[in-house]
Amino acid sequence: MESLQHLEAQLLEALKDIKTDAALNDIKAQYVGKKGHLAAAMQTMKTLPAEERPAFGQAVNALKTVLLNHLDSHQKALNEAAMMARLEQEVIDVTLPGVPFEQGSKHILSQIIERIEDLFIGMGYLIKEGPEVESDLYNFEKLNLPADHPARDMQDSFYIDEHTLLRTHTSPVQVRTMLAYGGEKPVKIICPGKVYRRDDDDATHSHQFMQIEGLVVDEKTSMSDLKGTLLEVARTMFGADREIRLRPSYFPFTEPSVEVDVSCANCEGQGCSICKQTGWIEILGAGMVHDNVLKDAGYDPTKYQGFAFGMGVERIAMLAYKIEDIRHFYTNDQRFLTQFKDDQGGLEE
Amino acid sequence: MNVSLKWLKEYVAHQATPDVVAQKFLEHAQEVAHVKPLSTVQGLKVGHVLSCEKHPNADKLSLTQVSLGDETLSIICGAPNVAADQKVIVAPVGVTMANGLTIEKVMLKDYPSEGMICSLEELGIDKKYHGEEGIHVLAQDAEIGADALAVMQLDDVVMELDLTPNRADLLSMFGVAYEAAALLEAPLTIPYPTIEESLLSNPMKISTQTSRCEAYYGRVLDTIEIRESPQWLKSRLIASGVRPINNVVDITNYVMLETGQPLHAFDYDALGSQEVVVREATEGETFKTLDGHIRQLKAGDILITNGNVPIALGGVMGGFDSEVETTTRSVLLESARFHPTSIRHTSRRLDLRSESSMRFERGVDPQKTRYALERATALLVQYAGATVREGIAYFDHYERKDALVELSLSRINRVLGTQLTVTEVSALLERLRFSHEPGECFYVTVPTRRQDIQTEQDLIEEVGRLYGFNQLPSTLPKLNTLGGLSPKQRRFRQLKNRLNTLGLHEAVTYALVKKETLSRFTFASSADAVQLKNPLSEDRQVLALTPLNGLVDTLRYHQSRQMTDTAFFEIGKRYTTNEENDILGLALANDALTHWQGNQAHDFYRLKGLVDHVLALYGLTATYQAVTHESYHPYQCAKIFLGDMHIGHLGALHPSVAKTYDLKHVFLAEINLTQCELHKRVNAPYVPISKTPIIQRDLALVVPKTTSAQRLIDVIEQLELTHFKDVEIFDVYEGEPLKDTERSLALRLRFNNPQKTLETAQVDEAIETVLKALKKSLNITVRDA
Repeated sequence: MESLQHLEAQLLEALKDIKTDAALNDIKAQYVGKKGHLAAAMQTMKTLPAEERPAFGQAVNALKTVLLNHLDSHQKALNEAAMMARLEQEVIDVTLPGVPFEQGSKHILSQIIERIEDLFIGMGYLIKEGPEVESDLYNFEKLNLPADHPARDMQDSFYIDEHTLLRTHTSPVQVRTMLAYGGEKPVKIICPGKVYRRDDDDATHSHQFMQIEGLVVDEKTSMSDLKGTLLEVARTMFGADREIRLRPSYFPFTEPSVEVDVSCANCEGQGCSICKQTGWIEILGAGMVHDNVLKDAGYDPTKYQGFAFGMGVERIAMLAYKIEDIRHFYTNDQRFLTQFKDDQGGLEE
Repeated sequence: MNVSLKWLKEYVAHQATPDVVAQKFLEHAQEVAHVKPLSTVQGLKVGHVLSCEKHPNADKLSLTQVSLGDETLSIICGAPNVAADQKVIVAPVGVTMANGLTIEKVMLKDYPSEGMICSLEELGIDKKYHGEEGIHVLAQDAEIGADALAVMQLDDVVMELDLTPNRADLLSMFGVAYEAAALLEAPLTIPYPTIEESLLSNPMKISTQTSRCEAYYGRVLDTIEIRESPQWLKSRLIASGVRPINNVVDITNYVMLETGQPLHAFDYDALGSQEVVVREATEGETFKTLDGHIRQLKAGDILITNGNVPIALGGVMGGFDSEVETTTRSVLLESARFHPTSIRHTSRRLDLRSESSMRFERGVDPQKTRYALERATALLVQYAGATVREGIAYFDHYERKDALVELSLSRINRVLGTQLTVTEVSALLERLRFSHEPGECFYVTVPTRRQDIQTEQDLIEEVGRLYGFNQLPSTLPKLNTLGGLSPKQRRFRQLKNRLNTLGLHEAVTYALVKKETLSRFTFASSADAVQLKNPLSEDRQVLALTPLNGLVDTLRYHQSRQMTDTAFFEIGKRYTTNEENDILGLALANDALTHWQGNQAHDFYRLKGLVDHVLALYGLTATYQAVTHESYHPYQCAKIFLGDMHIGHLGALHPSVAKTYDLKHVFLAEINLTQCELHKRVNAPYVPISKTPIIQRDLALVVPKTTSAQRLIDVIEQLELTHFKDVEIFDVYEGEPLKDTERSLALRLRFNNPQKTLETAQVDEAIETVLKALKKSLNITVRDA
């Protein structure tokens, strides 16, 4: 029995030098193989008295389990070492740059339009679009701008022919929508899009620019509703603390007409260079739809009423981001475009 | 309109500060451009020049002793017109001048100077109003030591109103006074002139041959003495932005500013008749205006004639030959009303836009025509020594019909969103001085000074603004409707987001392009292009057929700034005379390795992958056909087809075209999104995932280079094999051992029967059919292993 005990220590000693799978297999054969030490030990069992044989047999089997466990562990250790050796070959410099997934950018004008669209969609508005080459009828006449109106000067518009021009605002989309709605269906829309004015391009003028106009027509929408709606616009674009101010103004297509100022976010209304010391910045024009406009679009002005507003998208962007030159929007310099992350907007939960 | 607040106080008794007045106008009436003192200089005094001697050490300087009453200052003066015994404007030490400099006690060439004798310019009064060189000399009766600005009536504050075109009434001090009285709830006084006529009667006969002159009033005044106007009058004109000239001209201007009614004074003795006939000019007629220019007239211009020859271009400018001169002794004073549109056309065409023409264009108060004549007559009697001939010669075709407008209280509240009462609305109308009968329905008589108010809506605006738009509650419309994007709008947003994620920047470029470049990057025909009649420049003359024009400019901008690795897209339009289609433009450029891991250069196939990606958004698969276009690489350009329909193209920009734009390695594509939207295949039905395995077979084929891969695919797909799923090209090889004219294409065909696992024999049979078909139709064989 002592010699059996001795085998475990002997195996452990032998395994210390085993570094390869082949050597391990050899050792395995030496100890637990058919011609190994344990097999030899079993051969000696015959020499034992019959009453000792069962105990001896059990001892040998127990020892076999122990030895196999040692061999197994060693095999695992060898595998692990081999894996480590291989992985060491695969060392990399983790600080080298990753393969770039170039990220494009959404144009800042698109971002602003989407933010305003989302605000109005949340309030139940549809987005309506229309042609940029427009007829005089929709661009002017049906907006209470009759043929000899000063605002229709050739100076201000790009004409295609006597009756066709590049739209000077997105209001014709409002006219088209009202006509399509047939004089009865309530209207609740905003109209974003490109518009054109015959201005030389400079830091504050662009012959092409973007507008968003809005129109609500039903039997009860009031000037107070206009004020509340525009307050939401101002707060969405310029911050939750903003206030608005309405000043009387004049547009042929609305009455009353107002120009709308937002309290200056830069100085919190105290007066600074951005708001020209007034604490207020003009952001849009608005008013109650003129009776003539309703009438021309088939809505009975004694029954229907509503509001309209219009804002320049570039102007909103310039104020919101302090952009100094309107031409940047159309130069599309990557270094400009990539500065505006599309991460604004949304309502707090 | 520049409003002198000092002048305003003559009509409106109020105690409000200039800032309060301005704030009221801003919030309730009209935009205020600014409120500024006429002169910012404070502490000026009237001085008496006691002595004036030449400075011993300087040729151009004078040493003066100037008395301010309680003290006498030594002042060195550089103006050549300073002299002893003058009354002058003195800025003592400590006074800050208009240019921001503060007067200090200084030594000038060894002599002390304790102040400054001022010119008007140094007070901040622009030279165009006085034309004075040197110091200003005050009237001899100026009280020594008094506040010099007050003495000159220049202690005024000017409020500049940015008028909207509807408020013609605010082009007069009277109109501003009515408005101020309403805003400040202050009493209002309007002067009424009284005139003593002489025994001589007014001999003028006045008539018109055109309806473009609605009224014409004329008075003849004798014994006129042309001289300088009194200081108060000059100061009011200066505050109003009008240059003083002489008493007659100044008084006509003053009354125009006061009443809004332009006036004109003719030299009576130069008229050549005792008749005024108003008529329209004939085409091509010429007339010499008082500025000495010969004007070419057009039919419709209004001419004032003496019955024979023209004497004025009505409402726009007087005539050269009848201008009031220093020798004038008698004048014909005209107060007339002309057709606004006619005046607008004439004044614009001749570029003669004046204070008068501006007022006529916007419409004058028909009840002020006669009044203005009388007001000016009274002032000419007082300040020009005039005697007045008996009677006014005139015609006036205005028929006074009181504008009686019904105003419903419920409509006011419905439109404004308020709960105003009859009493409140009545009080607001009272402030506006609109006579009315209060009630659930008000009957409002609108005065003629407010020509802009004709309807109930006009009155609601008046009530609303006076009540204050900022007093309104902030509410949202009660109208409940569904909001949302249209399917097309949703897809555009998705498209933008995807292209952004794929590394493309969105550009927004100008739609107007140069005519010559219309078809440069597109197959679209320039025949239907939309051209401007009045472009600002040749570069922006025609609406684009594709956003690629703008995108190429964008690439060029970047390459010229060493940003050579760029990718842009734009959703623009193709504008034609009949329709506007949405066109997606894709523009890729690169020139350099950009990453240590290897080149990820843009090329034709990368762009094609993008096109496929875009089309997939619409559920569409396109086919491609090689084509040529003079701006594209002759062998790297393809049209994109949906079935038979051409919906766009893609290609490498021709190197020589690229060179003209200083560009390299440019790939462009355009896709007609309007067509994609029309033919979209979205909402495909759900298909359960096949439980049986997909069997795939790879074929390496030797293909002549002249045979396009698409033809192989077409042949295979046309076989409509049972259980055939799809085919893809996964490798292309050229070179040894293939001939120069050949290449090898590796195709992977996939088969599946969802019902039952396919047997090898079935697939073998299908492959056999494919190979036979390829051999038969294209003479293509399997590549030897």
